[in-house]
Amino acid sequence: MASVTEIGGHWADPDENTVLVATGEIAVAEHPKVIVTPALGSCVGVTLWDAFARRGGMAHVMLPTPSETRLDGLVNRFASIAIPALVEEVTQGSTIRRLVAKIAGGSVMFGSENGAPSIGGRNIIEVKRQLALLRIPLVAEDTGGAHARTMELHLDTGLVVVRSYRYGIKDL
Amino acid sequence: MDPRHLTELQIDALGEVGSIGAGHAATALSQLLGASVEINVPDTRLLPVSEVPMVFGGPENLVGAVYSRLLGDLSGALLFVLPRADLLALADLLRSREPGSSKSLGVAEEGLVVHAAGVLQSAYLAAIARLTELAVLPGPPQFAFDMLGGILEFVTAEIGMKADSALLIVTRFLSTEIVVDGALFYLPDPDSLDVLLGRLGVV
Repeated sequence: MASVTEIGGHWADPDENTVLVATGEIAVAEHPKVIVTPALGSCVGVTLWDAFARRGGMAHVMLPTPSETRLDGLVNRFASIAIPALVEEVTQGSTIRRLVAKIAGGSVMFGSENGAPSIGGRNIIEVKRQLALLRIPLVAEDTGGAHARTMELHLDTGLVVVRSYRYGIKDL
Repeated sequence: MDPRHLTELQIDALGEVGSIGAGHAATALSQLLGASVEINVPDTRLLPVSEVPMVFGGPENLVGAVYSRLLGDLSGALLFVLPRADLLALADLLRSREPGSSKSLGVAEEGLVVHAAGVLQSAYLAAIARLTELAVLPGPPQFAFDMLGGILEFVTAEIGMKADSALLIVTRFLSTEIVVDGALFYLPDPDSLDVLLGRLGVV
């Protein structure tokens, strides 16, 4: 009897320069690393990049704020906690004026948006609110829709590559 | 209840629920297809949310998925997942065509698979409802073809798996006529776990 994990093999092909960010986590790295998070659905990937230091970070945000749940767990799954934490880690207390942000994800995977905003929509709103509060310019985004995305941040140029089944490869 | 606080006994009891549901679903699917459908013993596991997309082929694996929210006394979701090749094979079975006839995933194939998933999900739920004497109904099934990680992530966030662990009760179905290998995920809402465990007598 095969168990579920035996079915699939592995995903992507991470090499020694790849930093993977799992759901609800954040990561910070410098050139020549590439930070990747796979298959964002309703979650939102947030990248911050410092052109001078060629350093940056990524958060894989799952929910807007801790008020969404009374259960504890990974604190960085919330936009309102992950983004300030990511800024802190990227800048390490120095100036945040050099940072620029790019975001992707926040889709509705099944059906269409009707009535109250979905989790994906609310994630996008809260991510933008947090970036605005910290005065970090949002320079590019690929959000919404009904498809999953993989997001990569290249720390040499700040290029963000978004891959999806439906729309192929986009550069942000 | 926070899924992380489940005991071994409770996880076993939930696995048993999955097992009974899966048996009924396999019978229904066999009748629908006129072909024998085997199931494996369901795999009940508690996973950190960060690892959920790693199940079943990795997050970037392209799959067809039919998602139904559950209504009634137990909330949560059922998700039926098929890799693309298996989805086309299932469509061939449902149309009584030669295996390998369906080459592309069109509206017709999608409709057939959604119907089959609906039957599977209803049979599964009927078994749970009888076992627990609770009213459980499937919501309208919805289809997506995309990366598995995005689909699982959406489902776990949307139905309220807001702890950092998710309880997945996974059943694999295998048709022996031609190979169709799919998985059904039952994701009980944390709030419904108490109700379910109470009915099973393992609070």
